[in-house]
Amino acid sequence: MTTSTATRHSAGSGVNFGRILRSEWIKVTTVPSTIVLLVTTFAVMVGLAALFAWALATGQEQLDAAPEGQNFGPPPGQGIPDFSETALTIASSGLIFGQLLIASLAVVLIASEWATGMIRSTMVAVPRRIPALLAKNVVIAALAFVIGALAAVLSYVVGQPILAGQELDFSLTTDGVPASIINTGVYLALIAVIAMGIGTLLRNTAGGVVTAVALFFVVPTIVVTLLSNLADWIPDAARFLPTNAGEQLVAITIAEDALTQLEGGLVMAAWALVLLVVSLAVTKRRDI
Amino acid sequence: MIEAHDLGKRYGSKTAVDSISFTVQPGRVTGFLGPNGAGKSTTMRMIVGLDTPSSGRVSVNGRQYADHRAPLREVGALLDAKAVHTKRSAYNHLRAMAATHGIPNSRVKEVIELTGLGPVARKRVGGFSLGMGQRLGIACALLGDPHTVILDEPVNGLDPEGVQWVRHLAKRLAAEGRTVFLSSHLMSEMALTADHLVVIGRGRIIADAPVHEIIAGEGQVRARVRADRPQDLLHALAGDGVSSKLLEPELLEITGVDSRRIAEIALRERVLVYELTPLQASLEDAYMQLTQSEVEYHSHDLPVRPAGAGIGEEN
Repeated sequence: MTTSTATRHSAGSGVNFGRILRSEWIKVTTVPSTIVLLVTTFAVMVGLAALFAWALATGQEQLDAAPEGQNFGPPPGQGIPDFSETALTIASSGLIFGQLLIASLAVVLIASEWATGMIRSTMVAVPRRIPALLAKNVVIAALAFVIGALAAVLSYVVGQPILAGQELDFSLTTDGVPASIINTGVYLALIAVIAMGIGTLLRNTAGGVVTAVALFFVVPTIVVTLLSNLADWIPDAARFLPTNAGEQLVAITIAEDALTQLEGGLVMAAWALVLLVVSLAVTKRRDI
Repeated sequence: MIEAHDLGKRYGSKTAVDSISFTVQPGRVTGFLGPNGAGKSTTMRMIVGLDTPSSGRVSVNGRQYADHRAPLREVGALLDAKAVHTKRSAYNHLRAMAATHGIPNSRVKEVIELTGLGPVARKRVGGFSLGMGQRLGIACALLGDPHTVILDEPVNGLDPEGVQWVRHLAKRLAAEGRTVFLSSHLMSEMALTADHLVVIGRGRIIADAPVHEIIAGEGQVRARVRADRPQDLLHALAGDGVSSKLLEPELLEITGVDSRRIAEIALRERVLVYELTPLQASLEDAYMQLTQSEVEYHSHDLPVRPAGAGIGEEN
């Protein structure tokens, strides 16, 4: 063996998880569309929170201005949260669209590797495959968490002056608010992993995005609403859909017979875990 | 060194590679030659673990590819010039690949220089010509300074200068003691580049021999002989595996015996020989002969129609 071969095989020259993470990080940050999607997600979430605050403030204003007897706001004392209680959820109010953007990004990150053939380069560099896919999941989950938590903080900050006009503003340390900020990040991270699982299994950007949007948005809102009168079990089962469970994760007040924060988080995490494990197993076996 | 044992791959009912065994030795350029659809790419994909063999096994430097701790430092492969994200620049693609093995950026810049990608390295790969894509694929293959280099159709889409560059590169890598395995469906290219050939057709190995042996046409040597008394010479030459054709009254084509032997016998028989030309079969001839029954897609001559009998014309 020549000296050069000896150097080649010297310690520290091999693949390890830290290096794969670094490689995946380079990949995410060197395609312009991913950066655009991340920034858009952040902006959309904060923008929605501002709208949410404005809507609440306007509602409160009209409520206050309305003469007695023509009260069209939520009647007090019937367990329905009033505006001041609803305002506490402002940190997570951008999730409804933020989740769709992050889901699209996660699908695009993996499906575009198949579309462009990049996946072959990836898997030749990391032939054990699972670490490569795992690293990709870690990177998107971490990014989604940071974007989600930062957007939640900024949503709070942007919302306060708007809410303050109607004295709906609140302190950052109000019970449940710090947790909902962190959990907004957790929610987005879990959405990202679920979506990446879908993208990995379908290997197709359009199909993956449509499936993710259906699972996160169309099924829980439209389908369940339309079908919930057909059978009792439908709304019951719908609680376990990822986004419905996730709503409980970021909720501040928990309604009776709903999932608790922890339960909601665990249900969502179970979705993520199952899709991750299945997508890893399938990718390990598949010809690429 | 690449070693394949009974390596096979089936897709449904179609057999792409039919339990082939071969060894690719270091220190020389081994060509992997075969018509389109013969199983070259599938075999190469199995070597680097992208496809799982249906049967048999293949190892590189003594181990299955995926079992190497630093696969890119063992094997560099160009399998598909388009295995790159089109929106990423060549430089960032190489950087991402290098990162998995802790290969420094200095090496990334080195392979960019080596492959002549410098002027376009910061541009998106999506806008690359086929030739530039090939150069990027080769840059990626060389990233880990690997002991074994596998190149699938490396000259595809390259300009003449690029073709020559690949040829020199392959030879230089082999001269450095590396294992070089490159596929092509162009025999003329292989004749110039390879030292050894593995010829594949319809998923089976049909020849595994040094280039000069394959050119010699499966042991068939031929010579053209002009002699005074051809019949006497033929009579003296008659023996196992020798055949001949009388092309002209004094012109023979003799197959199965080399020119020196012909001259010796002519001298012994005192037959005047005034022309003796060893006939060198081209690699192309040998290849066509070898793969004749093995090509997947035959082309046929168009039927000749009599003038006036135009297509779609009645009456």
